[in-house]
Amino acid sequence: MARPEEKLRCTKDPFIEVVGTRRIESIRFSTLSGGEIRKSAEVQVWNSKIYGEDLKPFSNGLLDARMGAPNKLGQCSTCHGSFTECPGHFGYLKLALPVFNVGFFNCILDVLKCICKSCSRVLLVEKDRKEFLKKMRNPRADALQKSAIMKKVRDKCKLSRCPRCEYRNGVVKKGRQGLTVLHDCNKILDGYAEELTTALKHKKDKLSNVSLRMLDPATVLYLFRRMTDEDCELLNLGDRPEKLIVTEIAVPPVPIRPSVVVGGSRSNEDSITVILKSIVNTNSIIKDTLQTGSLVSKCFDCWQQLQLQVVEYINSDAPCLTDSQHRGLVQRLKGKTGRFRGNLSGKRTEYTGRTVISPDPNLRITEVAIPVLMARVLTYPERVSYYNIEKLRQCIRNGPYKHPGANFIIQPDGTKLHLKYCDRRIAARDLKYGCIVERHLEDGDIVLFNRQPSLHRMSIMSHRARIMPWRTLRFNESVCNPYNADFDGDEMNLHVPQTEEARTEALMLMGPIELWTGKQLFSVLVRPNACTKVFLNLTVKEKNYTKLKDEKKEKKEEMENEQKEKKEKVKEWEKFPPGKREWESMCPSDGFVYFRNSELLCGQVGKATLGNGNKNGIYSVLLRDYNSHAAASCMNRLAKFSARFIGNHGFSIGVDDVQPGEHLNEEKKKKIDEAYTKCHDLISLFSKGALTLLAGCNAAQTLEAKITSILNKIRDDTGNAKGFVANSFYTGLTATEFFFHTMGGREGLVDTAVKTAETGYMSRRLMKGLEDLSVFYDQTVRNASGGIVQFAYGDDGMDPAKMEGHDGKPLNLDQLFMKVMATCPQKGHDTLSSKGILQMLKDKLLEHDTSADGGCSEEFKKELETFLKKRIILWENTIKALELDEDHIGKTKGKQKIEGLAANISGISEKQLQVAAAIKIVLKSSQPNLVINLDMQLIEELYMGISADSVQLSILNHPKIKLKSEHVRVVDKSKLRIYPAGTDKRKLQLELHNLKSMLPKVIVKGIPTVERVVINETKKENKKDGTKAEYNLLVEGTNLLAVLGTPGVDARNTKSNHIMEMNKTLGIEAARRSIIDEIQLTMKSHGMNIDARHMMLLADLMTYKGEILGITRYGIAKMKSSVLMLASFEKTSEHLFNASYSGREDQIEGVSECIIMGIPMQLGTGILKVRQRLEQLPEFKYQPDPILSS
Amino acid sequence: MADEDYEAGMGYEDEPPEPEIEDGAEEELENNNEDAPEDVIGADGEEKEQEKKEHSRKTTKYMTKYERARILGTRALQITMNAPVMVELEGETDPLEIAMKELRARKIPFTIRRYLPDGSYEDWGVDELIVEDSWKRQVGGD
Repeated sequence: MARPEEKLRCTKDPFIEVVGTRRIESIRFSTLSGGEIRKSAEVQVWNSKIYGEDLKPFSNGLLDARMGAPNKLGQCSTCHGSFTECPGHFGYLKLALPVFNVGFFNCILDVLKCICKSCSRVLLVEKDRKEFLKKMRNPRADALQKSAIMKKVRDKCKLSRCPRCEYRNGVVKKGRQGLTVLHDCNKILDGYAEELTTALKHKKDKLSNVSLRMLDPATVLYLFRRMTDEDCELLNLGDRPEKLIVTEIAVPPVPIRPSVVVGGSRSNEDSITVILKSIVNTNSIIKDTLQTGSLVSKCFDCWQQLQLQVVEYINSDAPCLTDSQHRGLVQRLKGKTGRFRGNLSGKRTEYTGRTVISPDPNLRITEVAIPVLMARVLTYPERVSYYNIEKLRQCIRNGPYKHPGANFIIQPDGTKLHLKYCDRRIAARDLKYGCIVERHLEDGDIVLFNRQPSLHRMSIMSHRARIMPWRTLRFNESVCNPYNADFDGDEMNLHVPQTEEARTEALMLMGPIELWTGKQLFSVLVRPNACTKVFLNLTVKEKNYTKLKDEKKEKKEEMENEQKEKKEKVKEWEKFPPGKREWESMCPSDGFVYFRNSELLCGQVGKATLGNGNKNGIYSVLLRDYNSHAAASCMNRLAKFSARFIGNHGFSIGVDDVQPGEHLNEEKKKKIDEAYTKCHDLISLFSKGALTLLAGCNAAQTLEAKITSILNKIRDDTGNAKGFVANSFYTGLTATEFFFHTMGGREGLVDTAVKTAETGYMSRRLMKGLEDLSVFYDQTVRNASGGIVQFAYGDDGMDPAKMEGHDGKPLNLDQLFMKVMATCPQKGHDTLSSKGILQMLKDKLLEHDTSADGGCSEEFKKELETFLKKRIILWENTIKALELDEDHIGKTKGKQKIEGLAANISGISEKQLQVAAAIKIVLKSSQPNLVINLDMQLIEELYMGISADSVQLSILNHPKIKLKSEHVRVVDKSKLRIYPAGTDKRKLQLELHNLKSMLPKVIVKGIPTVERVVINETKKENKKDGTKAEYNLLVEGTNLLAVLGTPGVDARNTKSNHIMEMNKTLGIEAARRSIIDEIQLTMKSHGMNIDARHMMLLADLMTYKGEILGITRYGIAKMKSSVLMLASFEKTSEHLFNASYSGREDQIEGVSECIIMGIPMQLGTGILKVRQRLEQLPEFKYQPDPILSS
Repeated sequence: MADEDYEAGMGYEDEPPEPEIEDGAEEELENNNEDAPEDVIGADGEEKEQEKKEHSRKTTKYMTKYERARILGTRALQITMNAPVMVELEGETDPLEIAMKELRARKIPFTIRRYLPDGSYEDWGVDELIVEDSWKRQVGGD
């Protein structure tokens, strides 16, 4: 870069050690002092003028050429780089007077609160100071704990008199307007302050309160400079505190605030340049006034203005600014499009495409069709080797415009040759091994395919490319579901991995088949789409037609041919279409589909059988018993076949196809009328007031609950009557129905609009919370900094995606048993006795235990044993059933059920009472008093155990009634007398009335925080079986501890859904359990089935720090130690400022940090290292020539 | 596609001996950008360590899917850079397919260094690990 004349100046090149590439290990956040800023700057900026007349930037101006090139035409005069080459250099701006840094303002306030405003020492007694210092210096304390200690120190620093210099300190406050610090000495100043104020009263013009002093930045700077290092450490300062105050501004390099020249004479400046310009102006005015020594007040005003301008420069949204037109530095970092989220965590990339999508059933599910137009732009750099040199030569000859072509050749020395501007034949001829050819995308290349919103891992999957004509991206419609795509104009993105490693990883880990392997995901996400369903339904109908037989045969043959071609091992498929021949009519038992030994014995294959939403669908079975590829190819064939079938057969329906039959209408009407009469009965009961109330509800609530349940029941029964709307569009809505229907419709629309925004944010939070968790080689789940979240994933270390049984059980033994029965048919007649089976089981298990692998797990043994026992019992029962009557079997089953049920909670009802039978005021001349009579009958009826003594105690304990024990006298068991405390006769009447109104609020018995208690009957009394009724109590309100302590409550079976309270009373493990249970309950009640391991992970993440942390900005800030990760999440500037206040260091180990720094992360494929093995290194027969030969 | 090919080429017991290894290893050293220099330095000490650890290795004997992806990726990269192939080729030209074939033949000359959370590590040779191939598990057919 250097110009020749500058090179001449230096006769020798300085020795620079070649260190190779370096890796960022950690980032330390700190503050810069004025000196450091000056040192790293190339130029001092003091000139407020930017451009001269000839549009040349002024030297020492804001666009000084030494800070980098201002636009594409300019050149940097420090390193002589052009706009694209030179990253720019800093300048500095010396402020005439120091100002506060708005980002650190709260920190400055905190420090000021803690130090003496005279001697700068911490306002702590020596003993406290040492103690806190010891805590702060604890090497195990992490950043979070340290800042907590700092807060404690700040709260402790309440001393008004400095223990060292005896100076009286006031309260430090934030000023009302502007960015000022006030020192309020009002409360401490004694005698002489009064003197002062009285003296000031005589003055004519009112001066402000003297006791309120302003601490200007210069004073604060002076105070900070005198602080001892030990005190700084105590206050968790990472560096000297004077650095928190701005004395010099680092003027950012010009390239980050480019200047655009408009029309040859004017220029558009970046807002940072504009703000800096005004700072320079104000600064020079202050300098002038200071030098000439004009009015102090004017200078002070300028100082205030300078302060506000510096605030605007740093954060233009700061509350002390009224309104700012500019974007400060913080605004550049913040938010979705800010530097952190917009440019560091996610970047704009090359080798990316986006267009509209459309379906193509002829593609495999692992393929995506890419338009030729796109394929000519997206390239893959392929290295020339022996195997591909001919292919690449042809590509080069084709050039950039013909499809299987190439765009660039990169020679081994790094030069890049564009094939548009060279003789392609020569280039092809000269192609050598080791060159890299950027060839067009071709069939079989691996691409990543994505649709936003990317909410789960199946939203981005790797596919094989198929280059096709036309302009849309196409894929098999079976893949719609994971992407949640439809073809009404959706667009999708495509990325081409550029290295061999990247494509391998994409293929191995992100392929649709790899990702779908989980049954859970499979059953939910991958199902044949609507068109396939139509096909299946059509085939059902078609059974009655005979005229289409020929066509069907064709189809069958086509299928069979395909079978032969593929040599598919899966037989299920083969039997599916030909089976139609025997089907005769539609009957309800069509739903009972039975395959045995790959033969369809009965039933009609429908969408439920194919496997949407359940684990027993064909695809799921294929996946489990064969593999994912078998399932995928089966799915592929179905998609292809159904598309062809519908293409030939056509699909159209008329009105009569959807018309409900006479019988159905009648049934429906009957059901609805029935329910309506019930509702009307309820309403009439309600208006009469004769409605029996539900527990814990008033009449209106009871009515609503009952009617809702009835109406919901109709909906379930009739299928198509939605709530109050009995008619359909086909039968015609009544006016009211129409009105209510629109209400429902609108609600749905609003819900979806709100939900998308909410779920988006929720998944962002969850992702940020869970992003760096991974299973390490010792089977523990840890976060990036090595903190253990789980000792084994999901308590058993199993992959929830691979679970076959229900409720996350690893095996579905029933299914396995059936499969074994089918594949290994019984030979001969010898059978084992039930005892023999169990014996065999024991032997086999023991056999395994002695093997090298350590045998089977306990759970497996237990499960196998229970399964076999169940089977045996079933078998025995079957035999017995042949002998005994049905009644007997029914009874034994009933008993088993009872045994299986867990004992329920029982207890007494606990009610908050506001009971006092009568409160009378007795006005006697001698001693006016209040008499309380207790309704003993009621108390006894309800077993409340209240006596006059306990009432006395609770009155005395009430915080608002300030009576002493002599004022409240117990007369007898049910009578109390209360004498007013005051002695003043005039106020006596008032006081008595006061007391009278207060007394009913005294809680005599029960837990004050409990709103109400409902008795819930979990089991009805059954005289036949002799079972007793069981109850539990549903308590509304808080205070679990008090409930547990109530006599009669079974504490072991009592739980709360208030997670924080569970944590407080029962500890963190109980809280974890409670989180899991609550999520499970919610999910279950909405009919969703989520593996418990996922919830365990979430609950463990929320509790692993020992306290409950939400997946919110506050919780995540406490979970993670990385500043960069938190800054990329939310509250960017706050985290950065706090980090540099306490001098935090960020070990780049988490996912976000690694992405920001561009370092491979230590997860997944990055957790291990691959080393070349050298054992097989051959011994060379030749040797280098010896240097010294003897 | 790729998957069917693998089934065809599964008989790796009677693989012919590798003639190429001898002059290949040297080249690999050069090509293998990241791992090679380290290896040269620490090769001696490590082997001793590995001998010590041989009987006390705790991590799983199965190859994880991430290990498989990483190894295949690294190997495929080496193959694109003209590293000598350790198996007999049957017309494959895609480096990834070749790498997969090598893995099935357990001929990939790599050692996996598994780091435990405390910073210690275990070395496992690729040939020691059990590779669970999805394409291998096609049971129940003819």
